[in-house]
Amino acid sequence: MSKPVIEVKNLEKVYEGAVPVHAVNGISLTITQGEFTALKGPSGCGKTTLLNMLGGLDQPTAGSIAIGGVDITTLSENALIDFRLRNIGFVFQAYNLIPVLSAQENVSFIMLLQNRPKEEREARAQQLLEAVGLKGKEDKRPGQLSGGQQQRVAVARALASKPQFVLADEPTANLDSQSTANLLDIMERLNKEEGMTFVFATHDDRVIKKARRIISIEDGKVLSDD
Amino acid sequence: MIFKVAWRNIWRAKVRSFIVIGSIAVGIWAGLLIIGFSFGMNNERTASAIGTTTGHAQIHHQDFDAEPLSTAVIADSATVVALREKVEALPFVSGTAQRTVLGGMINSAKSARAVRIMGVWPEEERLQTTLADYIVDGDFFEDSGRNRLLIGEKLAKRLGLKLRSKVVLTFQDAEGNLSRASFRISGIYKTLNATWDEFHVYVHHEDLEKTIGAPLVHEVLVRFEETVDTEEKAGALAAAMPVGLAVKSWKQVRPELGFADDMMAIMLVLVLGIIMMALLFGIINNMLMAILERRRELGMLMAVGMNKRKLFLMILVETLMLGFVGGPIGILLGDLSTRAMMRIGIDLSSKQDGLAELGVQSMIYPEIVPSYYLIIAVMVITTALIASILPAIKALKLNPVEAIRGI
Repeated sequence: MSKPVIEVKNLEKVYEGAVPVHAVNGISLTITQGEFTALKGPSGCGKTTLLNMLGGLDQPTAGSIAIGGVDITTLSENALIDFRLRNIGFVFQAYNLIPVLSAQENVSFIMLLQNRPKEEREARAQQLLEAVGLKGKEDKRPGQLSGGQQQRVAVARALASKPQFVLADEPTANLDSQSTANLLDIMERLNKEEGMTFVFATHDDRVIKKARRIISIEDGKVLSDD
Repeated sequence: MIFKVAWRNIWRAKVRSFIVIGSIAVGIWAGLLIIGFSFGMNNERTASAIGTTTGHAQIHHQDFDAEPLSTAVIADSATVVALREKVEALPFVSGTAQRTVLGGMINSAKSARAVRIMGVWPEEERLQTTLADYIVDGDFFEDSGRNRLLIGEKLAKRLGLKLRSKVVLTFQDAEGNLSRASFRISGIYKTLNATWDEFHVYVHHEDLEKTIGAPLVHEVLVRFEETVDTEEKAGALAAAMPVGLAVKSWKQVRPELGFADDMMAIMLVLVLGIIMMALLFGIINNMLMAILERRRELGMLMAVGMNKRKLFLMILVETLMLGFVGGPIGILLGDLSTRAMMRIGIDLSSKQDGLAELGVQSMIYPEIVPSYYLIIAVMVITTALIASILPAIKALKLNPVEAIRGI
């Protein structure tokens, strides 16, 4: 049995307002190492809110989130930033690369934030870009790459910090089918070969088909988990 | 890499960055020109005052300012000669000249005015001051003759006097009695300081002695080799003086000149401060725009784990770089323009009369003041540092989730 990477208990997120909204309403789940999991559900079901909380970007109203045994809801803001840097990889819908840096520099930048030595940064960035099929594009800036290529750089960047898992929020939403297939193949391979845990928030059927565990969410609750 | 990112970020919005860098450069350029011009004008006024009338320092009897002038003599002739030899032996002193200084009245057929009567030893005066160069009519005690008098052009006009006009001087003699003597104008001078010209007449010491009975030395003018550290040198000179004598530096003799120096320093810092304030708002505006445009990217950086210190540093470095690019360009432009103007001069002859009241020539030659380059460099860096604070705070307040989702 693989060890749990993420353990969520009775997670709640309420957005206060004239009418309080329960974006996440009592979710408990465990994600173990090596999973390739999709959180699916219609827009507004709470999957992105859940993903943000798993990534330590948003604080829950109630409940706990343990990552690698650390309850991140108790961490201070600065400790949480550092925790994210060392434990969580992020892939965003809009790639969010730094436009003034080359592909290689974008990947290296995360390691720089971790204060890793230059040689290690360069070697690992090169290796990761090769792993996502971007050998030869190291010096290209995001503007010179296609959407699919940019998202692959983003995947390489997410892996650069050697995280416990990668959170991907609608990673294929802006990609055509060919790029989507490529990206999913790469992530699947990284999952199988290197045991990297991936958690997607998506409503893209192509992603859902690849996922080995699908958690359906509706109205802030887990509808099904297979 | 933070420096690399900051540097490249500057050039993302080229036009905007050029405008900010340009405004920094122009601000500094203007500041340096003002500094060069002000120093040029002030130093010229000082140099002219020191050169024509005041000297770098003056030695008087300690009661010179308090007592009736005629009695506050330095010493007898022989002692004064010894004193001057001692002063001239000091390494920083280039020469001395002695003067009789009396308060009195000048009467013409038309009017009368209170004046200071300067009894000079013409050869010495010619060596130590440039007064002889400012004779506009007549000569500097070159013609033989008795009771010759040099008068300022402005005073001559007020009294309706011309060359060879006759005047009567009234003053106190050595015993404190009022004496009178008639003089004939042998020269009219016009220095750069109209105020001085209006209140000082020069006579040959021999002519005064005939009336007052003995050579009275009230003042020894001291010229230094260079016009630098004059206060310290005046201090050293004072230390070498026997009891009963006092030394005044040119700043004490002509407090308005020293005051102008101090005021100018304050004014220049104020002008630079105003320029920097204008730049401050320009830079803040530019950086706030940059932050606004890059919300998503900054949100991503915070999300993936860039801590606040590093984020702050990145924005700080980016702001500083604007200054580091604009600053040297401005300093270079300012330096080159000042040097060019040092050669050709700035012609203000249309304001000649007003400038003469201030003791300034109509051609101004700006000066390079290296210490102000350092002051400007420090001010630009400080401005950039202050300018980075608000944008950085704005960036730190971004919520990564909202920033990534937004725009």
